[in-house]
Amino acid sequence: MAEPTETATEEQSVVVTDLLAPASIVLGTTASDWEAAVRLVGGLLVAAGAAAPEYVDRMIEREHSVSTFVGEGVAIPHGTLAGKDLIVKDALSFVQFPEGVDWHGDRVVICIGIAAGGNGHVPILAQLAELLMDEERAAALRNASSIDEVIELMTPDPETD
Amino acid sequence: MPSIESTDVKKLVIACDAGMGSSVMLASNVKKQLKGTSVIVEHTPVDHIPADADVVMCHAGLAERARKTRPDMVIVPFRLFMGDPAVTKVINAIKNGGTIDG
Repeated sequence: MAEPTETATEEQSVVVTDLLAPASIVLGTTASDWEAAVRLVGGLLVAAGAAAPEYVDRMIEREHSVSTFVGEGVAIPHGTLAGKDLIVKDALSFVQFPEGVDWHGDRVVICIGIAAGGNGHVPILAQLAELLMDEERAAALRNASSIDEVIELMTPDPETD
Repeated sequence: MPSIESTDVKKLVIACDAGMGSSVMLASNVKKQLKGTSVIVEHTPVDHIPADADVVMCHAGLAERARKTRPDMVIVPFRLFMGDPAVTKVINAIKNGGTIDG
């Protein structure tokens, strides 16, 4: 990964906002069903210039074949392999549904949209995986009340790979 | 169904459709749990499973596709991206010894 530098933590850590722009984070909203939720997170990726509008259809397709629910009230919608050429740049979006959205029988409060052609987003997903193993921090993410709080929770710890 | 002795496992691959989301998260968890062992953990799209993988874990909904791509490999299907017993079983076998069945 990044070369060690004298200004250690700042230089080595991933800048979350490069991938997850504050404008792509929406808190405290609602969606009538999972499809509406995917259209919302997908629309944010399109608005960020990260993917063509058709990418959102690939995200819905993917959700029909295998749910992207990962546990702890979190789903990570993304396109299919066939939809990869619709991606312009790597980006993430984040939407919080405090009332929850029915996700093929699971309840989803946090939806993280992914458009990724490369591996730039891997450290952030690794951080998410770690965060969700910790019940307290998973709850903090579900209950986050500010964009800064979301960004802070999603920032990879510099000491882990 | 193929099976493998855990001591013969050098590379473990977690596959999903696009290799950009759920497999990335699971691979990161598995990597952490296998820290200290010599097993290499990778994530790939299910249609691009590398030939040198010894064990493949993928979502149950993709297992058939994985078996089509790699009929001779040990394919372990799972349903939960966190805390799935099938995944735990593979990790425990690698750490403590045992046979992994496809």
